[in-house]
Amino acid sequence: MLGLFGSLNLGARSLQTQQQGVEVSGHNLANVNTPGYARQRLQISTGMALPTAVGWQGTGALGTAVTQARDAILDRQALREGAIQGSLDSQMKALQFAETYLGEKLDRQASGADGTSSTTSVGAQHGLSEGINSLFAAFQSLSTQPSSLTERQVLLMKATDLTTRFNTTSTRLGELDASLNESLTTEVGSANGLLRDLAALNDRINRAEMSDGTPANDLRDLRQQKLEALAKYVPMDVVETTGGLEISVDGQTLVSGVNQLDSLETYDAGGGRLQVRTVTGATALNLTSGSLAGTIEVRDGAIAQLRNSLNVAAGELISMVNTAHRNGFSLNDTTGADFFTGTNAGNIAVNAALTADPVLLQASGALGNKGDNQTILAMAQLNTSARAALGQQTVFQYFSKTIAAAGQALSSVTAQQSDQKVVVDMLNRQRDSVSGVSLDEEMTDMMKYQKAYTASAKLITTIDEMLDTIIGMKR
Amino acid sequence: MRITFSTFPNALVPQLGTLASRQAKLQTEAATGQRVQNASDDPVAMRRVLDLQAEAQSMGQYRKNVTRLQEVAGASFTAMRSLQKVSDRASEIATLADGLKSPEEMKIYAAEVNQLIQQAVQTANAKNRGDYIFAGTKNDLPPFTMALDANGQVTGVTYQGNDSVAESEIVPGQTIAVQPPGVNTSGSGPQGLLGDSRNGSDLFGHLISLRDNLLAGNAAGIVADHTNLAKDEDNLMQQYGLNGSIQSRLEVTAARIGDQLLSVESVVSQEVDADLAETLVKLNETQMAYQAALQSGASIMKMSLMDYLR
Repeated sequence: MLGLFGSLNLGARSLQTQQQGVEVSGHNLANVNTPGYARQRLQISTGMALPTAVGWQGTGALGTAVTQARDAILDRQALREGAIQGSLDSQMKALQFAETYLGEKLDRQASGADGTSSTTSVGAQHGLSEGINSLFAAFQSLSTQPSSLTERQVLLMKATDLTTRFNTTSTRLGELDASLNESLTTEVGSANGLLRDLAALNDRINRAEMSDGTPANDLRDLRQQKLEALAKYVPMDVVETTGGLEISVDGQTLVSGVNQLDSLETYDAGGGRLQVRTVTGATALNLTSGSLAGTIEVRDGAIAQLRNSLNVAAGELISMVNTAHRNGFSLNDTTGADFFTGTNAGNIAVNAALTADPVLLQASGALGNKGDNQTILAMAQLNTSARAALGQQTVFQYFSKTIAAAGQALSSVTAQQSDQKVVVDMLNRQRDSVSGVSLDEEMTDMMKYQKAYTASAKLITTIDEMLDTIIGMKR
Repeated sequence: MRITFSTFPNALVPQLGTLASRQAKLQTEAATGQRVQNASDDPVAMRRVLDLQAEAQSMGQYRKNVTRLQEVAGASFTAMRSLQKVSDRASEIATLADGLKSPEEMKIYAAEVNQLIQQAVQTANAKNRGDYIFAGTKNDLPPFTMALDANGQVTGVTYQGNDSVAESEIVPGQTIAVQPPGVNTSGSGPQGLLGDSRNGSDLFGHLISLRDNLLAGNAAGIVADHTNLAKDEDNLMQQYGLNGSIQSRLEVTAARIGDQLLSVESVVSQEVDADLAETLVKLNETQMAYQAALQSGASIMKMSLMDYLR
């Protein structure tokens, strides 16, 4: 028998336990919108039983632990899928910029710079492709009137327009490259900050859990959030040890328990192309996903290819037009001058001597014959000449292939990214179904605890009355 | 599956996002009438359309070339016609000036022939947009120059052009020259308009000879000149015919380019243009779905156990 005072204690403990239950529900309700929060539950067990003459008698209930509903497998998956999403996000962003900078847009309504659509009614293109077409059209135009100064001026204007477009596009893509390098460095900085935080959190969790042996739920929520943030940047292996989490990237341990052993850094691996390695490591990390890997992949893949193709196209245009032009004769009978200067998309320009004096344009194929058009006709016919350097394609075909390839890269990354979003959304829903807070559940729990609380209070009043009865026996 | 407080909003937000971006895309399609604008919308179609547009643009340029060549051919035809008149009149004079005419009459004819020579030189030096038409490719200088003696008689006409003419492209790989060189004595290349060694034509030489024979009253010489002038007339007739066939070829080419442009336009349209009816129906569907998502989401989210607790 517990006796009346013992029963009074039982009632008091019961009140406490039910109140704790309401408090845990309240905590859940308060964090219903907290990102990364996993719902918590009060574990209640029966109090220690006492041996009595009639057998073991219970002593009520008490809250033993506050646990959280988390699924370790889903948490791991979230890290992996987050890394893949990070990679695709960064690729998509960079390729969107590249497509915009390339400036190739179909516009069926607008007329081109020279009213293209009004004459051909197929709409205009913007950007380099239109420039290339216009240049060859201007060559043709001059070939019908080789000595006309007006046609010469128009041709030189078109050519200058094309070279300017080449230069601008090349500069913009170069800037994109630089900004990708910059974002690598920034993201490595953020990743290092997260690594530091994770080591510190390992420490705090160790201390918290050592003091009373129960899980430090809220700190663990925070740690999982930081891990997921880090996973967006780099793919990593995470192992839970007694000292906390051990985090490694590509086999190199960065955080082991409370110690941050290493951190990430960017370095120039040659040609201004930044790579990522650990501070103590000499070679680049092999990153398979995460935004760092995505940025490196798109920079050295689709964008590098695009820049290279532009340079190849510009280089071939320069060399073939110059070769033809050099053999011609100007209206002043001079010969041997180049039409374009420069070697690639970045520095292609129209020979300044020609723009200063269109008379010097070498359109004629025979000395002294100003009405001859053989050279300028040969230049115009380059439009349809397949070049070995361009894989047996014409300059325009090569260029339109380049545009299509850039479009294809963006289109396939966009498709992958939206697929990945579906995966991540599904994963989040699954995690939510395990860890999310349900208002209905919490309200029901609250009612449950409230009723039990009321009942426990009734117990206390009953014992109180019994005590009164006992005390009232003596008067 | 356990449904929690955040399940609905978490699901609703991406659903609304997807529907909104679909609406934006369809709206852009409806507003521009285009299914493809950027390369990433449909890389394959983009490539095809870029190639087609390049083709259209170069055909547009060929059409401009044809227009320009038609202009030159027209100008050269006009000049040929007045040269033909000169040649006709000269033959007529050679026929009229037989041995029965008095030396005075012969002199009058001679004076007329002298005028005819000057008129022919003037006509043969015709220009189009600053270039001499019949000078071959040395078209910056007048092709024919006259030497006059003290009495104003033309003693010689020199050709200072050359016998090659510029050819322009009217379809890929095919070039055409629309005007002949003034004179060709090389024995090869395009036929000269007023003189060619292959058929013995030399209008100015024969005109000068006719005038001299008229002045001298050399009847036999005049008969020979008559024969020679017939060669010039034949030569001019040939040039006439050539010009006609060139003009009709240009006309046919222009018409064909027009047809090709039309067919390219329809192919481009198939690749790029949006089917407006389909787009609008889809847009309508998407709007309905958006509205349904908003309404159902709102009504589910405002409901909870709390409405029934007191």
